[in-house]
Amino acid sequence: MIPMPDQQAPDQVISAPRTGPLMINMRGVSKFYVSEKAALADCDLEIGSGEFVFIVGHSGSGKSTFIRLLLRELLPTKGQIIVAGQDLVKLKNWKVPYLRRNIGCVFQDFKLLPNKTAFENVAFALEVIGKSRHVIRTQVPEVLRLVGLEEKIDSYPDELSGGEQQRVSIARAFVNRPPLLLCDEPTGNLDPQTSLGIMKLLERINKTGTTVLVATHDRDMVDNMRRRVIALEGGRVVRDQDRGVYGYVD
Amino acid sequence: MSINVGYFARESWQNFQRNWVMSLGAVITIYLSLLLVGVFLITGVVVNGIVKGVENKVTVQIFLKDGAATEDVDALQRQLDSDPQVETVDYTSKAEALEKFKKNMGTPEIVDQLEGNPLPASLDLALKDPRQVRVMAAKIMKNELFLKVADRPDDPARSLRYGQEIVDRLFAFTRVIRLIEVVFIVMLAVVSLIFISNTIRLAIFARRKEIGIMRLVGASNWFIRTPFLLEGVIQALIGAGLAILSLAAMRAVIMPRLAETLKFLSLSLSGGAMAQISIALVVSGIFIGLLGSLFAMRRFLKV
Repeated sequence: MIPMPDQQAPDQVISAPRTGPLMINMRGVSKFYVSEKAALADCDLEIGSGEFVFIVGHSGSGKSTFIRLLLRELLPTKGQIIVAGQDLVKLKNWKVPYLRRNIGCVFQDFKLLPNKTAFENVAFALEVIGKSRHVIRTQVPEVLRLVGLEEKIDSYPDELSGGEQQRVSIARAFVNRPPLLLCDEPTGNLDPQTSLGIMKLLERINKTGTTVLVATHDRDMVDNMRRRVIALEGGRVVRDQDRGVYGYVD
Repeated sequence: MSINVGYFARESWQNFQRNWVMSLGAVITIYLSLLLVGVFLITGVVVNGIVKGVENKVTVQIFLKDGAATEDVDALQRQLDSDPQVETVDYTSKAEALEKFKKNMGTPEIVDQLEGNPLPASLDLALKDPRQVRVMAAKIMKNELFLKVADRPDDPARSLRYGQEIVDRLFAFTRVIRLIEVVFIVMLAVVSLIFISNTIRLAIFARRKEIGIMRLVGASNWFIRTPFLLEGVIQALIGAGLAILSLAAMRAVIMPRLAETLKFLSLSLSGGAMAQISIALVVSGIFIGLLGSLFAMRRFLKV
């Protein structure tokens, strides 16, 4: 294990054991791409239901691989991953869409469809999983209200600010009330003030019982929120800390 | 399920409106490819007709000696007629033979110089499969009745004529023509498949973002695929329809003129053949549209 270059080195893994039901359980997970070097090496992690967790680390530390493994865009080379009670290694290909209905996803680049309004973008997520029109008409305005966009319901993405677009994308991820929300650099394109609003929103979603996992570079955010922090470096978990801080000197 | 039908219809229509340039590109590609295939199919049918016409001119002629007993000739004709290989047997009398000869000669006056009628009567056989002509000739040569009525019983081979010198070369030639036809059509089909699937791939590539989001929010692969496949089929149908219309127009305009110019060849294209070609175009269009869409989508649907 690589020693941490900061003051937290002596107590690298100081998170208390999870007691409640688990949302994510990784056992000895490694992922190799073509090269010899592991993108993720021998990860053991437990994330309980309803937790709010930051994944921090430099570029290439394995954050993206981590997220993609949870979404089952990738299969681990070794080890076992259980998400929301599903063993991802044993999960059949055709069942993957059903897994993803239980995982909301938020990305740095929002991934909104430019030719659909805020309402239509959120409704799209329900349409494609076969929800009825009635459900769509009641749930979409409700979730847009939750993210604070009831006024902009008929605006197209290019009429919205970056923060508003990210709110739409969070609304889309959350409209189906998934038990797990994965956020990959959700504030990467936003200014600090807007980022704060997004984080507050994620916190509010977490309070409804949703497990929230945020991969981020945003030092201020992590330091302010004082939530569980998992630090990755060279594909290894080098720190796992309840009420942690960002802890890197960039 | 009712909601899904609505969704697919709405989504397909919207996609068509938003991506009509791409759709138009696909339709035109399919149209031109199928038109080319159609032109070649029609050419193939016409050439086949010509080849068949030429081949059917290959008959077996049995020359009869003057004064052969009528009942023997009749018996031979009946016997040949019952042979499963034989299509028709026609009797040509001495007078008819002379008449024909006169007609075929450019200068009938020369024929008038002849004393009497030197031409023998004959039985003319058309075969179901003209390529069997040699086998048939050999069979007839062993026939007792034939030997009885043949013009030259001492040399039966000379009482039979079936174009010994040219049949083999003729059939070798028609075989090559048929082979060329098939090779061309197969090549064209392959080229159009590549063309069309590439065009569809472009259209799908333009919408990979949408597909990515659908996968992200957990749409099943069939749910993602269906609108694209429907679109592919609709495009193929439109393209095939246009190709068929163009071919029908060509047939109406060009075929009569071609037949006029090339009178000596039996040029023809029946409505039935045209209908068959149309059906083939529609079916292969749909097949290519579906296959092209499926191929093109595969890499965007990896889990």
